[in-house]
Amino acid sequence: MSRQQQQAPLRASANGAPHRKLDSGRQDSKSHLMRSSSGGFTSAENGGKLGLTSPSRDRLVYVMTQFTGHHVDVHVKNGSVISGIFHATNTDKDFGIVLKMAQLIKDTSVGGQSNPADVLRKPDTMIIPGRDLVQVFAKDVTLGGDELPKGPVHDKRKDLMIDSAISRSHFPEERELERWAPDEGDSDCIELEKFDRKGHRSWDQFETNAALFGVKSTFNEDLYTTKLERGPHMRELEKHASRIAREIEGEDTEDLHLAEERGIYVDEDLEQDEEIKYSAVRRDTDTSKLKSFMNVPSSAHPFDPLTRPGSIDTKDLQDEESSSHIFGGTHLPVTAATSVLASEYQSNKPFPADPNRLDDKRSKDSSSDKDNRNLRPENTLSEGGRPLVSEDPEGASSRLRASEPSSSGQGDKSPDGLAPDSAVPSKLHSAPEYVNSSQIPGSSTSSTSERVAANSAASAPGLSPSSSMGSLSSDKSTLNPNAKEFKLNPNAKAFTPLTSPLRPPNPPAPDSTYYYPNSMPTTPGPGLPVGMGFPQAYGVQPMVYNAQPGPPPPPQGYMHPSGQQYGQQMMMGQTRPVYYYAPEMQQYRGGRNY
Amino acid sequence: MEVGGEEFAVGVVISAKTTLGEEFEGQIVSFDRPSNLLVIQEGVGRAERGERRNVRVIKANYIQDFTVVGKYDDPLDPAACVLDLAAIHAREEAALRQAEIEAERIGVGVTPEAQRLFDALSKTLPVQWDKTDIVVMKEVRVCSPYLPENVSGGTSAANERVKKVLDFERKRLHVRVPGQF
Repeated sequence: MSRQQQQAPLRASANGAPHRKLDSGRQDSKSHLMRSSSGGFTSAENGGKLGLTSPSRDRLVYVMTQFTGHHVDVHVKNGSVISGIFHATNTDKDFGIVLKMAQLIKDTSVGGQSNPADVLRKPDTMIIPGRDLVQVFAKDVTLGGDELPKGPVHDKRKDLMIDSAISRSHFPEERELERWAPDEGDSDCIELEKFDRKGHRSWDQFETNAALFGVKSTFNEDLYTTKLERGPHMRELEKHASRIAREIEGEDTEDLHLAEERGIYVDEDLEQDEEIKYSAVRRDTDTSKLKSFMNVPSSAHPFDPLTRPGSIDTKDLQDEESSSHIFGGTHLPVTAATSVLASEYQSNKPFPADPNRLDDKRSKDSSSDKDNRNLRPENTLSEGGRPLVSEDPEGASSRLRASEPSSSGQGDKSPDGLAPDSAVPSKLHSAPEYVNSSQIPGSSTSSTSERVAANSAASAPGLSPSSSMGSLSSDKSTLNPNAKEFKLNPNAKAFTPLTSPLRPPNPPAPDSTYYYPNSMPTTPGPGLPVGMGFPQAYGVQPMVYNAQPGPPPPPQGYMHPSGQQYGQQMMMGQTRPVYYYAPEMQQYRGGRNY
Repeated sequence: MEVGGEEFAVGVVISAKTTLGEEFEGQIVSFDRPSNLLVIQEGVGRAERGERRNVRVIKANYIQDFTVVGKYDDPLDPAACVLDLAAIHAREEAALRQAEIEAERIGVGVTPEAQRLFDALSKTLPVQWDKTDIVVMKEVRVCSPYLPENVSGGTSAANERVKKVLDFERKRLHVRVPGQF
């Protein structure tokens, strides 16, 4: 850095006189006294010069250097005081001071007001020539050197009091603790603590806000809660309500959680550890009921549903594993009817629960659950043929199909019995998930005969499509009864997402190119067919948003236009068509939001 | 004219009075004759690492008179005097940043009362100076003499709010410092 003195532009100084610009911040750093950890100090120069290498000079320079960055007060000859951030001093010459963000604190120059605080001036860089300098006063200087920088720099710590720095330092160790007393004029704070006897604050926030700021609140409590009609009837209503509440709360319940809340004793011998009790996903409608799917005829119900011409496709029943769970909670008549209907409609709809069945189910829900569970382990095949026949609606229906023409008479049980016998085992094999257990022994035997009679009677479809449609919704069905019928479209192109539906973590290619199938400069060749397929597919197919997590093929990045993958997807497409909601793709084009 | 040049020995604690009427006491860290600068620290004894002291660098010719209070050891350890220039730079930058932020909050050529109002408003509202006008939320303008009538601009809701706050703050300030402006 040059040591030439330059003519400086007019600079503010203590007495307003123009002066030569001092060499900014020339500091001699004496190697034997000071070791600088970085050579970046622009105004420092190494090497002693001018022969002023006395220890006292060194100390002076050391101290002045330590001032850098501190707020200092500079007293000048005329008594004025200037406050600012110490920037530099001219150690070669007369130790003029350069202050940044400096302001005249006390102005005693001629013509200056006695109280300069009347008009505040914007802080500026000031240079005080050495000859005007009287004193530089700095507070809180670390003469012993800064603390070893373990974390943020010493002074930075003052800016950000981070916990680790605070706990690390032991300065100050212990302090004399004083009870906090509010400053004068801060009486506002006390108002926050005004509580009345009941503990309600005697402070209305809306009122205060309106008073202070004129803000009118449009808050209406009734928008968020039911308005209570306070009046003469209040007592009665309250009593009524609490009675109902007690009834409900005392109710018996199957639900484990509710039972626990209500204090109802639950069987301890059921193997239920904490996980099952509190955290596992409960699939009551699925597996438990599936396993307990039994052809248990409910007593005293006309077996009308079974009088349909049995045209059940066993296939339907078999691959209706998903729909089988809909049977959950339903019992023989239900199953019979549902199986019948399933064949009729060939749909994934939940098997219809006709009104009879629904009532029946509701009333017998708890008991039949237990029954089902109890009966499950029993081997159904061991039961007699006849009960089995009657219990097996699928078998019955299939038999019906075969024997319907012949089973006109009521008494035609034996052919029914025989044929079903053979049919049943096969049927049972084919539909293992259906536990064709025997009915509740005893109770239903009487009814079975009735049922069989009814069953074997060839009859017009007892259940009309409309009725079954109407009664499609069973209590515990998990299928959407309102869902559109699924029709397999063999011509459907498997929709290949060009990118994984999940946000890709690291885009290797520039931003949106690979989202645009038609404009992908980086993927030539086989990419094209895929790209072309994309808009086509989009246009043709009604896209159904598949909310399943993850695409069928593993996400392989953004553009793998390999035909093989495409083919792969084609295959997958056949078995489980997966349509990605195209507009979502569109959005990707616009840009990602990570 | 140096007063007591010989007595300004390192480690000596003096109590002095300046020609400007200031009095102080402290331990001599250094006395540089050529420049006539005396370095005095408040507090006796060696400052430890990280320990802070107030330091004075005064031209000796402004010392009117002084008395020696005591003689102690050198408060500076020459071997331990390390200048961490990086830290110093950082400190300076931080201080400058802070000062700039504070400077933004100070109006140029405004009365102290105005400045007080500004400070009070800034506690709850975003305020800026525009010459001598206070601009609240970039919309509402309060001109001198900063009375509720001088509030203009912004939506009526904002306007009202600023008026209220201004009114409130004025009352509060007047109650706190009666007679003072």
